[in-house]
Amino acid sequence: MTAQQSLQIITETFNKSRKGILRNSAKYFMLWGALLTVTSLVIYLLWHFTGRPQWNFLWFAMPVIGYPVAALMGKYDVNVPQNEVSKMLSGVWRVFGTFAITLSAIAICLVPMNVSLIIVIIMGLAECMSGVLLKNWPIIICGFLLGVCGAVVAMLVKSEAQLLIFTLGGVLLLITGFIMQLQNK
Amino acid sequence: MFPKLDPLLHSELRLAVMSILAGVDEADFTYLKKQTGATSGNLSVQIDKLTAAGYITVEKGFKGKMPRTVCRITPTGQEAFRGYVEALQEYLSASK
Repeated sequence: MTAQQSLQIITETFNKSRKGILRNSAKYFMLWGALLTVTSLVIYLLWHFTGRPQWNFLWFAMPVIGYPVAALMGKYDVNVPQNEVSKMLSGVWRVFGTFAITLSAIAICLVPMNVSLIIVIIMGLAECMSGVLLKNWPIIICGFLLGVCGAVVAMLVKSEAQLLIFTLGGVLLLITGFIMQLQNK
Repeated sequence: MFPKLDPLLHSELRLAVMSILAGVDEADFTYLKKQTGATSGNLSVQIDKLTAAGYITVEKGFKGKMPRTVCRITPTGQEAFRGYVEALQEYLSASK
């Protein structure tokens, strides 16, 4: 085996493994993207047609559905290991989820606040960080635009129309998942 | 004078296994088999050799009711792999 062949084996094996791991992570972006898109749209429509903001409690259905489904998907991924990038991506979105759920609970139970504004900013930040980790400029730019434009819209638009920012965020997550799959084919 | 290439790593399958393990925390036998395209028997033999050299550790356990063999690269293995890649780079830069 020549030095060139050895280096080729190392590069090919390493890249094949890395791509497989990131393709696997893409599934989770698609899961949460689809859930966010559907949940935000359903709440928007229910609120719009009934005039009841109480439909916002349906947001809590998202983690209730999402985490078990993600855990079930993880069971089938038992053979796919984690690398540094997939671990950091998972960490970034876990932190986002923790902040989003905690702040929503605080806003409902303790201190009223513009939750949409806060969540859209941290979501844009998490999306930006994902782009940085994946070294993908379109994801970085989309995350930045989601955070900044979403914050402006959340300040200007009132009531149920704010929810459409999250529909956009969900679509963005879906697109990120597709980009990850395409990048790592 | 070129540095000597580690003979343990200078084998297609062992090098592929080490390349995978260098990029992940741990990988199980099924994953390694799938990624390398090796047969179970051959992969087992090469894993045993890497384990005997202290380059990787092997942990046998169960995931649910299914047996699972998990491999991890050791610091010695990481050092050896790094040394091997550096030696390769010296060979290649000298041949340019």
